Amino acid sequence: MLKFNKSLKTLAVVAAVSALALTGCGRADSSSSSSSSKAGFAQNSLIGVALPQKTSENWVLAEGLFNDGLKNAGFKPDVQFANGGVTDQQNQISSMITKGAKVIIVGAIDGAQLGTQLKQAKDAGATIIAYDRLLLNTPNVDYYVAYDNRKVGQLQGQALLDGMKKKKATGPYNIELFAGSPDDANAKVFFQGAMDVLQPKIDDGTVKIVSGQKSFEQAVTQGWKAENAQKRMDTLLASSYSNTELDGVLSPNDTLARAIITSVKAAGKPIPTVTGQDSEVESVKSIMAGEQYSTINKDTTALVNQAITMVKDLQAGNTPKINDDKQYNNGVKVVPAYLLTPQIVTKENAAQQYANDKTLEPLTK
Amino acid sequence: MNALKQILGGNTRQFGMIFALVFLVVFFQIMTGGLTLTPDNVINLFNGNAYVLILAIGMVLVIIAGHIDLSVGSVAAFVGIVVALTMRDWHLPWYVGILMGLVLGALIGAWQGFWVAYVGIPAFIVTLAGMLLFRGANQAVGHSNTIPVGADFQYIGAGYLPEIGPNTGYNNLTLLIGVIVVVAIIIGELRARKAKAELGGEISPVWVTVAKLVLICAVVLYATYLFATGRPGTSFPIPGIILGVLVLFYGFVSSRTVVGRHVYAVGGNRHAAELSGVQSKKVNFLVIMNMSILAGLAGMIFVARSNASGPFDGTGWELDAIAAVFIGGAAVSGGVGTVVGSVIGGLVMAVLNNGLQLLGAGADQTQIIKGLVLLAAVAFDVFNKSQGKPSFIGLLTRGKGKAASPEVTADVVPNSTSETISHSA
Amino acid sequence: MVPTSAVILEMNSITKEFPGVKALSEVSLQVKANEIHAICGENGAGKSTLMKVLSGVYPYGTYTGDIVYQGNICQFKDIRASEAAGIVIIHQELALIPELSIMENIFLGNEPTRFGVINWREARRRTIELLARVGLADDPDTPVKEIGVGKQQLVEIAKALNKSVKLLILDEPTAALNESDSAHLLDLIRGLKSKGISSIMISHKLNEIEAVADAITIIRDGKTVETLDVAADGVDEDRIIKGMVGRTLESRFPDHTPTIGEVFFEVKNWTVAHPQIADRLVCKGSNFNVRRGEIVGFAGLMGAGRTELARSVFGRSYGKYLSGQIIKDGKEVQLRTVSQAINAGLGYVTEDRKTLGLNLLDDIKATTVSAALKKITHNMVINDDEEYNVAEDYRKQLRTKAPNVDEGVGKLSGGNQQKVVLAKWMFTDPDLLILDEPTRGIDVGAKYEIYGIIQKLADAGKGVIVISSELPELLGLSDRIYTIFEGAITGVLNKDEASQESLMKLMTAAKKSA
Repeated sequence: MLKFNKSLKTLAVVAAVSALALTGCGRADSSSSSSSSKAGFAQNSLIGVALPQKTSENWVLAEGLFNDGLKNAGFKPDVQFANGGVTDQQNQISSMITKGAKVIIVGAIDGAQLGTQLKQAKDAGATIIAYDRLLLNTPNVDYYVAYDNRKVGQLQGQALLDGMKKKKATGPYNIELFAGSPDDANAKVFFQGAMDVLQPKIDDGTVKIVSGQKSFEQAVTQGWKAENAQKRMDTLLASSYSNTELDGVLSPNDTLARAIITSVKAAGKPIPTVTGQDSEVESVKSIMAGEQYSTINKDTTALVNQAITMVKDLQAGNTPKINDDKQYNNGVKVVPAYLLTPQIVTKENAAQQYANDKTLEPLTK
Repeated sequence: MNALKQILGGNTRQFGMIFALVFLVVFFQIMTGGLTLTPDNVINLFNGNAYVLILAIGMVLVIIAGHIDLSVGSVAAFVGIVVALTMRDWHLPWYVGILMGLVLGALIGAWQGFWVAYVGIPAFIVTLAGMLLFRGANQAVGHSNTIPVGADFQYIGAGYLPEIGPNTGYNNLTLLIGVIVVVAIIIGELRARKAKAELGGEISPVWVTVAKLVLICAVVLYATYLFATGRPGTSFPIPGIILGVLVLFYGFVSSRTVVGRHVYAVGGNRHAAELSGVQSKKVNFLVIMNMSILAGLAGMIFVARSNASGPFDGTGWELDAIAAVFIGGAAVSGGVGTVVGSVIGGLVMAVLNNGLQLLGAGADQTQIIKGLVLLAAVAFDVFNKSQGKPSFIGLLTRGKGKAASPEVTADVVPNSTSETISHSA
Repeated sequence: MVPTSAVILEMNSITKEFPGVKALSEVSLQVKANEIHAICGENGAGKSTLMKVLSGVYPYGTYTGDIVYQGNICQFKDIRASEAAGIVIIHQELALIPELSIMENIFLGNEPTRFGVINWREARRRTIELLARVGLADDPDTPVKEIGVGKQQLVEIAKALNKSVKLLILDEPTAALNESDSAHLLDLIRGLKSKGISSIMISHKLNEIEAVADAITIIRDGKTVETLDVAADGVDEDRIIKGMVGRTLESRFPDHTPTIGEVFFEVKNWTVAHPQIADRLVCKGSNFNVRRGEIVGFAGLMGAGRTELARSVFGRSYGKYLSGQIIKDGKEVQLRTVSQAINAGLGYVTEDRKTLGLNLLDDIKATTVSAALKKITHNMVINDDEEYNVAEDYRKQLRTKAPNVDEGVGKLSGGNQQKVVLAKWMFTDPDLLILDEPTRGIDVGAKYEIYGIIQKLADAGKGVIVISSELPELLGLSDRIYTIFEGAITGVLNKDEASQESLMKLMTAAKKSA
C-alpha cells in the first residue's frame, strides 16, 4: 500500500510538472492573423460556401458553379450543404473557420440563427458574404449578393394578372395565394412584392380570394416542401372550388407551382394561371407545354459569378462593388448589397431569356 | 503479451470506448493535418454538440427504464420559442427566462409522464404524439418566425469563462478547473483502490492504475491546455461546463442513489422491481419528466448559441440522442446503459461529424458514414454477446456496479431448461 | 373396455439428459390402440419431458432409447414430423392466437391453398365439420379471445383432428376449466377413443384420471415406477397417490425442533378477484394465521390459488382486492402497496425467479440490497462499501457459490440464484417471509441448504409460509399445512396428522373434506 501511494505521488508530480512545462508555449498571439481584409490574402486561400438543404435545382447548380468558378480563379473551394438543418450549417461554418477560410459565403437556412458562428468567423478574420438570403441580427456580415426579391414578388403578381387576362378578358378573377417557408426571410419579401401589385385589385374587386386565406401566415408552405403545397391545394379545391372556377394561383417558386398544377389536374379542373420562380427545367418544360404560366429567370450563374467577383476583389485587397447601401437593414446594420435584376419568363419570351443557357435553351424550341 | 492481456482484459478495458474516441480524434488529427485538435475546433466540438449530449443524458435514463422519447426535439423547440418570446415581449431577465424554460419543460414532462406511467400508453406513442404536438405548438406560438434573444441569454450557449487574475498567457479559470479535475481523478482512484483493498476485492497492479491515471490526466491536461490557449476571448465554453455538471450529477444519481437504482430495476425487470417495493409508475413518470426538462435546457442552449429560436429547431435531435445512447452501450430492451457511456457515444458521433466536415466530406457522405458507424458499433456488441464474450461497449463503460451482464442472453436458455427438469435430480 | 390389444406406441428405455441433470432415465411406456393412457407423477417427475421427447420437441438424437409407433421406429426431428405421423400434443398453455378467428387458428400453419392462395371456402367447410365433431356450434369467424377457455380447449382438439391425429397428447387439459367444461372435455376424449383415436393424458386431477383412464403409467424422479390397468387392478385415487409419492423422506431435511410462539399474523375472510375477469374469484374468503417461529405450509395443485393468495396479501400485488382483513401483532394493517407490505415486515419470494424475482442484468450485490436500499442510503447517497459488505456477509452466511458479489446473477445456477433472492429478503429483516416454491428448479444438495436457512429464519422468531407443489417438502419442513382447492382453503393439518394421502385428498376433492 505504501509503495503504491508513493508511485501515485510521483504521478501527481509528473502531472504538475508537465502542466508547468506547457506554460512555456502559452496562448498564441492571433492578432497578426486577424487583420482586416484591406491587405487581401493569398491567391490559393480556402473559400467556404455554406449552402442550405438540397431542396431545389438552383442550389445544386450553385454548388457546381461555386466549385468550378472558385477553382478556376485559383482558390480552394469548400462547398457544403446543410441537409441536417440549422445545426449542420452552424457546425459547417465552424469547420470552415477552423480550416482557415478567408471568405465565407453563406446561403443561410435561417439567417437569424448563425450569429455565434459569424462572430467566430469575424474574430478569425474572415469576410462574410450573405448569398441569396440576408443574415439577420448580426453586425458580422460584410456584403449581400442577391436578386431583388421584392421585385421578384412584384413581377410574379403582375404575371398572374397578365396571365389571367389572357384567358379571360374581364374579371372578376378567382385566385389563391401561396407563400414560401416562414423561416426563409425572403419568403415574406416575395409575398409582399406580389401583394404590392395584387392588393389594389383585391380592394377594387377585380380579384377575389375565394377561400379568404389572404394573410402570409395562412399562405405559407412549411420548408418550401412540394407535398405541403399540394396538400393545401387539394384542400382548397375541395372546400372552395367545387362549383367555382379557379383562375389563378400565386406560387412563389417553380417546385410549388408544379405541385399546385399536379393537385389541380388530379381534381380534374382546368389549369389556372400559375406563377413561379427559379427557371427549373421541369417548369420551363411545363411553361412551353402551356401549363405553368410564368417563372422568374434569376440566372444562378450570374449570381454565383457576382459572389466570386466579390471574392476576387477581396483577395486583391479591393473593396467589392455594391449597388445598394440603404435597402437591406438586418436589424443591426445596413448591409451593403449588390442586387441583380430578375426577369419574368413566359412562353413568349422564353427563347430569348434562355438563349445563353445550355440546359434550358433546347427546351424552348 | 501478458502485459497487453492485462490491459485489454483487466480493468483498463473499462476505458475501451474512450480509446475508440481517442483513436478517432488521432485519426482525424492526422487526416486533417492538425486541424482537429485546435482550440477553436475543440470548442466548436463542445458547443456544437452540447445539446445532443445533454439530450443523451436524459435519453439514456429513459432507455434504461425501457422506454423511448421521440418528442425531445419538438419539446426543445417549443421551450426555446416560448422562452425567446417571453423574454422579448415581457422583458424578462435571462435567469428568469431559463427558470421558466425549465419549469415549462417539467410541465411538458409531467404531461407526457402522466400518459406513459399512469395511463399506461407506450412511451413511443405518447412521445410521437408529443413530437407532433409540440412542433405544432412551437410554430403556432412563434407564428413560424425566428425570434432573436438578447446577448446576456446567449451566454449560456455561446459564452466562455471570463478572464480573471493576472495575465498568464492562459485563461486562468480554465487552468484552475483542469487542475481541480486532475486532482479529483487522482484522489478518486486512490480512494477506490484503498476501499477495494480493505474489502479484500481484486486490485489491479499498481502499474496498471498508474498507466491509467497518466493517460486520463494527460488527456485532461491537454484539453485544459487547448481550452486555455484559444483565441483571446475564448476559453472553456459555458455549454461545456453545463454539460460537465450534468454528467457528474446524473452519473452520480444513476449509480449511487435509490432513484437511480430503481430506474435500472424497472428497466431490467419491472415485475421483479414491483415485487421488491419499487413504485414503477413513479419511476417511469420521473424519467419521462426528467427527459423533457433536459430537452428544455438543450433547447435553450441551442437558442442561445443560435442567437434566435426558429420554427425548425430540434428537428432530428431525438434520433441523434438515441443513436448516442445506443453507441454508448445501452440495450433496446432496457435495463442496460450508463450516462457516461452515452455521452462518449455522443462524442464519437460528434468527432466523426466534425472530422468529416473538416475533410470536406459532403453532408450526404457524412450521414452514410454515421449510419454505418451506428450499425457497426451495435453489431459488434451483439456479436460479442452472442459469442459469450464480454460486451465491448457495455463493459467498457460500466460504472461502479451497474453493468450489463453480457452472458445473460446466452445463459438464460440452458438454465431455464435445466430448471424445468431438475426437480428430479 | 379394451377392444383390441394392439400396441400403437411403445417408448423403450428413454433416457434424456440436460447438462448436469438426468431428466429421464430408462423410461418405458406402452400405449395400446383405442386407449386413454394417463401419466401421473409429481411436478418435475419428468412427465412433460417424456411427452416432449415423443412429440419431437426434443428431436431424435438428443435422447437415447427407441420410439416405436405403429410398428415402426420413429426418429422425429421436430414437431412437424410427429404431427405428420399423427401424434399431436396440446400444451397446457394453449397455442391459440387470441386475435385470430376459430377458423384461422385451426388452419394456422396448415392453410388449404389453391395456386398459393388460401382457399377460405374449403377452410370454412372443414371448420364447420371439425367443430361439429368436437361439439361446438360457434361461428368459425368468432375471434378465439371471445370464447371461453373450455371452448378454446375444444378448438385445440379440432385443430388436432384437422391434422388427422391418431394419438392425442393432452398436458393438463382441464387445469383451467370449470367442472362442466371439464366433464364435457372428458366426454369428448372418450368419444374420440370410440372413433379410434388414442390419447395420452397428463393430469393432476386424480379423480378425472380414475374416471376416464384405461391405463396409468406412474413416473417418479425420471423413472417408470409402474403401469396400472385401471379395470383389472381396481385402481383408485389412493392407489395412484401411493405410486406417485412412494419414497422415503429420511435425511432430506435438516433436524429441527421448532419453538413456536403466539399467533402474530392473521388473514381473515380474504377475498380477491382475478385482475381481468371481475367475476372470477381467485381467493374465496380465506382464513389463516401464522405463529412466531412457525413454518406454515400451503399445499395445493397448480392453479389452485396459492400464489394468488400470497401475492394478494403481499401488498395486493395480484388481483382485485374485494374484502378481508390482515391483522399483524394484534392490529389491523392496511397493505395496499408492496412498499407498505415490506415496511410492515412482510417479504415474498416468488415462484418465478426469472420473470418476477430477479433482474438478471444485476449483479449479486445490487440484488441483495434491492428491496432495502434505505438501509444503506445515507444523505440520499447509496454507500457502495456497505452494499458490498452486506452482500458479502450474506454470500458467506448462505454459502452462495460465486467468485465474488460483483458476479451477475444471470450467471448463477438456480440454487445460488435462490440464495441471493433469500438474502435480498433476509436483508429487509421481515417478520413474515412468504416463500413460493422456494426449491423449484434446485438440485437436492442446494435444497437441503435452503431448508436449513428456512429453519434458521423460523428459529429467529420469524413466521415463514412455504408454498410448494412437492408434498414431501411440505411434510418435511412445515409445522402446519393449509390445503387450498380452487381458491378456497379446504383444511389445515398439523405436522403429526398430515400425510401425503390426507393432503392430496384435501387438495383434489374439496367435497370430501371438512
